[in-house]
Amino acid sequence: MWIKLVTTLLLGAALLSGSDIRGSITIERKLTRHNVTASAGIYQRGTAVELGVDAEGDPLAFERSHVAVYLEGGPSSGAAGVVRASIEQRDRRFVPDLLVIPAGSTVSFPNVDPIFHNVFSLSKPRNFDLGNYPKGQTRMITFLAPGTVAVYCHLHSNMAATIVVAPNRWAARADRNGAFTFKDVPAGTYTVVAWHKTAGTFRKTVTISDQSDAEVGFTLPYVEPTYMKPLAHR
Amino acid sequence: MRFATRTFLSSFVPFAVLIALGFWAVRASVIETVRDGLRASARDNQVALTREHARNEARNQKLLQGIAEYPTLKAGLQLLATERSASDQARNTVQDQLSEIGDSLSFDFVMVSGAQGEPLAAVLRYAGGFAPVNLIRLNPPVQGFFSADDRLYEVASVPIHEAGVQVATLTVGGRFDVSRFGVPAVLLHKGAVIAAQMRDLAPAQIEKELAACAPAADCEPRIQDQAYLSLPLGLIGAGGDDSYVLRSLQNVDAASAPLQAVLRKLFLVAGLMALGATLGISALSSHSIARPLADVAAHLRRSGVTGELAEFPESRGGAQEIRDLTQGFNHAAKAVRESRERLTRAYVQFVGSLAQALDARDAYTAGHSRRVSEYSCAIAKAMNVPEQDLETIRVGALLHDLGKIGISDLVLQKPGRLTPEENELIRQHPVIGRRILENVQGLEAYLGIVELHHENLDGSGYPHGLKGEETPLHARIVKVADAYDAMTSDRPYRRGKSHAEALTVLKSVCGSEMDPSVVEAFALLGDQRKQQTLLAGTQSLHSLAQAIHSDDISVPAALEMTEQIVVREREAS
Repeated sequence: MWIKLVTTLLLGAALLSGSDIRGSITIERKLTRHNVTASAGIYQRGTAVELGVDAEGDPLAFERSHVAVYLEGGPSSGAAGVVRASIEQRDRRFVPDLLVIPAGSTVSFPNVDPIFHNVFSLSKPRNFDLGNYPKGQTRMITFLAPGTVAVYCHLHSNMAATIVVAPNRWAARADRNGAFTFKDVPAGTYTVVAWHKTAGTFRKTVTISDQSDAEVGFTLPYVEPTYMKPLAHR
Repeated sequence: MRFATRTFLSSFVPFAVLIALGFWAVRASVIETVRDGLRASARDNQVALTREHARNEARNQKLLQGIAEYPTLKAGLQLLATERSASDQARNTVQDQLSEIGDSLSFDFVMVSGAQGEPLAAVLRYAGGFAPVNLIRLNPPVQGFFSADDRLYEVASVPIHEAGVQVATLTVGGRFDVSRFGVPAVLLHKGAVIAAQMRDLAPAQIEKELAACAPAADCEPRIQDQAYLSLPLGLIGAGGDDSYVLRSLQNVDAASAPLQAVLRKLFLVAGLMALGATLGISALSSHSIARPLADVAAHLRRSGVTGELAEFPESRGGAQEIRDLTQGFNHAAKAVRESRERLTRAYVQFVGSLAQALDARDAYTAGHSRRVSEYSCAIAKAMNVPEQDLETIRVGALLHDLGKIGISDLVLQKPGRLTPEENELIRQHPVIGRRILENVQGLEAYLGIVELHHENLDGSGYPHGLKGEETPLHARIVKVADAYDAMTSDRPYRRGKSHAEALTVLKSVCGSEMDPSVVEAFALLGDQRKQQTLLAGTQSLHSLAQAIHSDDISVPAALEMTEQIVVREREAS
């Protein structure tokens, strides 16, 4: 029994062992506002207003940490990468407002505000409405198909969150420095996908062998936001 | 009142009054024009404001219709309608939504009420943010105004439809501030003041004055004696009697006050300057008019003081009237002078006859007064006595013995020596003469001669015993003439002395009784008279020699005369 278990673990480790993919996200102001007016408008209506309340006070770091990265073309990791994640409804916001999960994961939406909230999505990968529910209640939903799911609240039009459902377990948000690492990726050729709410989807092919790690870098365009007055705290 | 003052006043006062009236009228008209202009500009301003207000209202109505379609709010209302277990939180949710609407659209009051008009939820803006309000206590209308916590809110409503059916009413409101219109405004409801911007007017007073104004018409009430302009800024609410009327109420007088003050100052300065100019001109003109008159008056005054009626010099310039005046005066003065001279002549004749009457009392003294008068005049002329004194001396000498009228003939004509008593009586005659003449006006000038012609130089004379110069020269002259005539006249008891003898006697009492200068002048005069008499009557050197022999003429004078006779004879031949 014990031997069998240890053997299985070792086998698994051997199977899973591979090289890492390390990446970096850079956001550069290389586009003029004129060229990205449409996206800038969306951007400002969405996350741009959050810039002002960022704890670190660095909008670029904030945006780097709002980039979702995942691998396409790899083997399905199956149930191994499945997680149980949570997005809270706090202060009329979804916290966090960006969640990256492998397909098959379940996300719960606890309401901690003293008012009703509602969670719904009209996105193609997962179309749902969890209904209105008051403080203390939570409702959950499982995302099976990969894709990008935009989540909203019927009662609060300014509440929005994005759930990126990745095809496998190599999925993450970049940190504030823009760095991310996919560990133990088996040798092969993959497409690394970087997604940002307003900048869109960026793809890069990377080949990885057993012996060496791979590096990948993305440069996302960025436009200086027109600072809006942050919503007053009520 | 002096003529100059009268001239000045009669030219200045009408001008001053005219100028003051003119300035007052111009000032009033300017101020009225200014006020009209101000009123017109206020009216334009307020018409523009009214239009702007109406446009805002229309825009707000459109905005409200947009909000009524806000899906989030509809979801909230549905939640409120359906939620039963946690209705408090559902209400909180809706209130939260209302707060957000109010926050993002800058409303101060947001309320939803149900299909039947029952209030569901409402929030009101406070200093720190929005808070739910007690709807039962507040009971706000769906249209119009309500006040909460001493603040006035203006509200408007829009229905919320769901699938074509009205499910609720959204009511939004903003703080109503009468001062936001840019002009002083007042809000009325059924004639009562709900809000007014002017703190200095009591609402009751505004109500009273605005009661006469039609809701949609201009109005110019007078409040507290000030002109106001009130224009309708808008009707708010249901219409009819229940409407709220917003009117401007601007104090036109106060608005034009600074300008009026400037104008007042300007006109005051200009008016004072004009008055000053008028003053100067009036003073000049009155001076130029009154000055010739003042000169005439001064001349007349001088004449009055001196008694002379001096004529005005003939002047070609000056005003015709002044010339007429001076000429008239000259004529009058001439007439007065002539009549005065006539009077004087008559008086002199009277005095002469008085003296004759006196002299006539005694045959021996007949002609005495006339002779003394002639001698005295001659002496005075020789001594260069001023012309006007000659007449005094002439008449004074005529009268010098007038006092003898009061002395008895027995004494006066007594042939022998006088007793001391009689002598004393005689010595009274200067005082008596004085006393007689004293009472006759116009004879004052002769009193000195009459009273003092017996004073001696050394003080031994009578009646006062004056010394030297204390006796006036006139009296001293008459004294010499009197003594000379007395000595050369025949008397019942003696013959008169000859000229030379009398002169000798006179010279002998020079310094003690007689004034030496007078005696000397008289002596010279006597020589000259003789010479002239001789010269007139002497035809030859022979008769001259006779005269020298008879001691009628001095040798030096005879020599001089000889030359003259020789010259004359040579010329004749």
